Amino acid sequence: MDDEEYLSSAEEEEDCEALDGIESEDQRCTSTSLSSTKVITRESLLAAQQEDLRKVMDLLTVREQHARTLLIYHRWDIDRLLAAFVEKGKERLFSEAGVTIVECRNSPSSWSSSPVMCQICMEEVQPNLVTTMDCGHCFCNDCWTEHFIIKINDGQSKRVRCMAHKCNAICDEDVVRKLVGRKHPDIADRFERFLLESYIEDNKKVKWCPSVPHCGNAIRVDGDAYCEVECTCGKQFCFNCSLEAHSPCSCRMWDLWVKKCEDESETVNWMSANTKPCPKCHKPVEKNGGCNLVSCLCGQPFCWLCGGATGREHTWSSIAGHSCGRYKEEDKAKRAETDLYRYMHYYNRFKGHMDSLKLETKLRASIQEKVSIVESMNFANKDYSWVINGLYRLFRSRRVLSYSYPFAFYMFGDDLFNDDMTEKTREMKKNLFEDQQQQLESHVEKLSGLLEEKFDEFTEEKIMELRMHVINFSVTVDRLCFKMYECIENDLLAPLQHAIHNIAPYKSKGIEKASELPIFQDTSASLKSTKTHRTDRSLLQASTTNEKRESDSSQPSSSGQFPASSPSPRKRARKDGRRDTLIDLNLPA
Amino acid sequence: MASKRIQKELQDLQRDPPTSCSAGPVGEDLFHWQATIMGPSDSPYSGGVFFVMIHFPPDYPFKPPKVNFQTRVYHPNINSNGSICLDILKEQWSPALTISKVLLSICSLLTDPNPDDPLVPEIAHIYKNQRSRYEETARAWTQKYAMG
Repeated sequence: MDDEEYLSSAEEEEDCEALDGIESEDQRCTSTSLSSTKVITRESLLAAQQEDLRKVMDLLTVREQHARTLLIYHRWDIDRLLAAFVEKGKERLFSEAGVTIVECRNSPSSWSSSPVMCQICMEEVQPNLVTTMDCGHCFCNDCWTEHFIIKINDGQSKRVRCMAHKCNAICDEDVVRKLVGRKHPDIADRFERFLLESYIEDNKKVKWCPSVPHCGNAIRVDGDAYCEVECTCGKQFCFNCSLEAHSPCSCRMWDLWVKKCEDESETVNWMSANTKPCPKCHKPVEKNGGCNLVSCLCGQPFCWLCGGATGREHTWSSIAGHSCGRYKEEDKAKRAETDLYRYMHYYNRFKGHMDSLKLETKLRASIQEKVSIVESMNFANKDYSWVINGLYRLFRSRRVLSYSYPFAFYMFGDDLFNDDMTEKTREMKKNLFEDQQQQLESHVEKLSGLLEEKFDEFTEEKIMELRMHVINFSVTVDRLCFKMYECIENDLLAPLQHAIHNIAPYKSKGIEKASELPIFQDTSASLKSTKTHRTDRSLLQASTTNEKRESDSSQPSSSGQFPASSPSPRKRARKDGRRDTLIDLNLPA
Repeated sequence: MASKRIQKELQDLQRDPPTSCSAGPVGEDLFHWQATIMGPSDSPYSGGVFFVMIHFPPDYPFKPPKVNFQTRVYHPNINSNGSICLDILKEQWSPALTISKVLLSICSLLTDPNPDDPLVPEIAHIYKNQRSRYEETARAWTQKYAMG
């Protein structure tokens, strides 16, 4: 990606930010054709794979099967493959990956007509029934076939090695196809599928869509793996961990949170904090006040401190015939109790916003109804995209808000970053974050309230006033979300010493929709086509500015210019593109 | 296929037996063999006779045979169940290998343990840091379990 490219997309971002207030959902869809996120369907899988194979075949002048072997070994990472080529040279690159090309060595079988001894079955075999691999090893066809079938059934199709001891060569896929296909076409089909799907399974840029039931698609992301995508089947997910889109939580935080929520252990913690089993009937007993002599419903009295059965005679400080000093137990119970309260605090807010989001989804229908009512009236301004845009802004920010609670739970808790912050810094950062969170929260609630107004009963003047408010709040909420992500990335996660937590960048337009992968005839055509794409895009930019999207604006900065381990430059690039535009945004559109 | 090949291997072993080991079926079952390995003279296992059990899988030689020591051995790559940690019995197996080659590999493993890929880390540790103590114990075990 060159500088020019970067500039143009930065401008583009600016423009589209300015129009944020009046963005419409249709435009959001058109944006995807320019994105760096692609859907790979069953149909386009072959083409996608072919594209990479072709590149390697051209660059290294090798046959397709060798290109595939090299790519599988290097996990379909062409850059890594080429780096290894430069670093190690062709010979070592090939031998490590198992590509062995013996120069013009004729197999003995093609010369003599006398039987050949197969070293596997130890039988004499007619020379027309043996096969010599590229590495020069020759065995009978029956043994090869058996070997291939066992490897395919073991799920090792992608790297079927030669049968000779210590030979690292990968068998010619054409030979595998031919020999296995003769006896077991179904297994040969499976071999074919494994080779094809290797493009997905072994490729860190490609992941299966996690939809259930599975849509059959995979998603390819050519930029930063820390992003959120939407498959054409509608499934939205975090590309890095394949779980639901969860930013601003990091993948690790989300994983922990999901487990924690599923886990009944919180209940168990509560039980251990608040109850003791009766020494007689073993039912959990909750102490509801009073002294440390507790009576179970079954009538058994026992000591609350140690759980042991006691007599009934007691004072406030002692129980007849019983003395115990197990106060440590109580410390542990206290601890579990505060942990539980802390979790409940965050969980309730997380859940609360999720529930609101569900309710607001219903709002969409009623808003559309209201819009159609006011549209039928004879008002001067007939553009009601601001309501819909406000609604989408509400959905997006509600999600952000909701996921910000599990984030805070881990960011400021004891589970993850105990060694990374002193108590004081933690408290300070927590306050900083909570300020932002609260600000966002109050604005989101206000936006929600505005959108629930019965504007279908309003006068035109009042509608215009509401429009102003909705646009203003939408813009502010968007800005606050952005600021919160920025704070999380730069002030909270970036300074961590002991752990690396990355989050998907904030996308004003919501989760990026993956576009269909165009099926190209060959590489030259594909290159040409990308170029035309670009030209189209600049034309588009010149004529209809409001059709432009930021969808791939992050691409130039995230396409490997900066190492993944230092995320800050990437963030800075994003921030700068944004800042200038904010002022304009506050003006009524 | 498998039984034919095993038969062939048996014939070869009988025709041209290796110096330090012997092998053959336990009973009627061709897929179940027992082998004996003489402790290599340049190792602390010298003088011992070690019994090894061999099970051929039905898809032999495309899958490796299962080989286990029956005699106790003090060795970093052989555990108390007699399991052997040897690459050619796992991922480095090749259908072109034979039992005779496997037994020879085990012999050389006895002479040259591989402490960097140990099955018994404690023994590997002693082998690396206190060689004479390792040799002493290995000799004592050979005396106790592999002689007479």
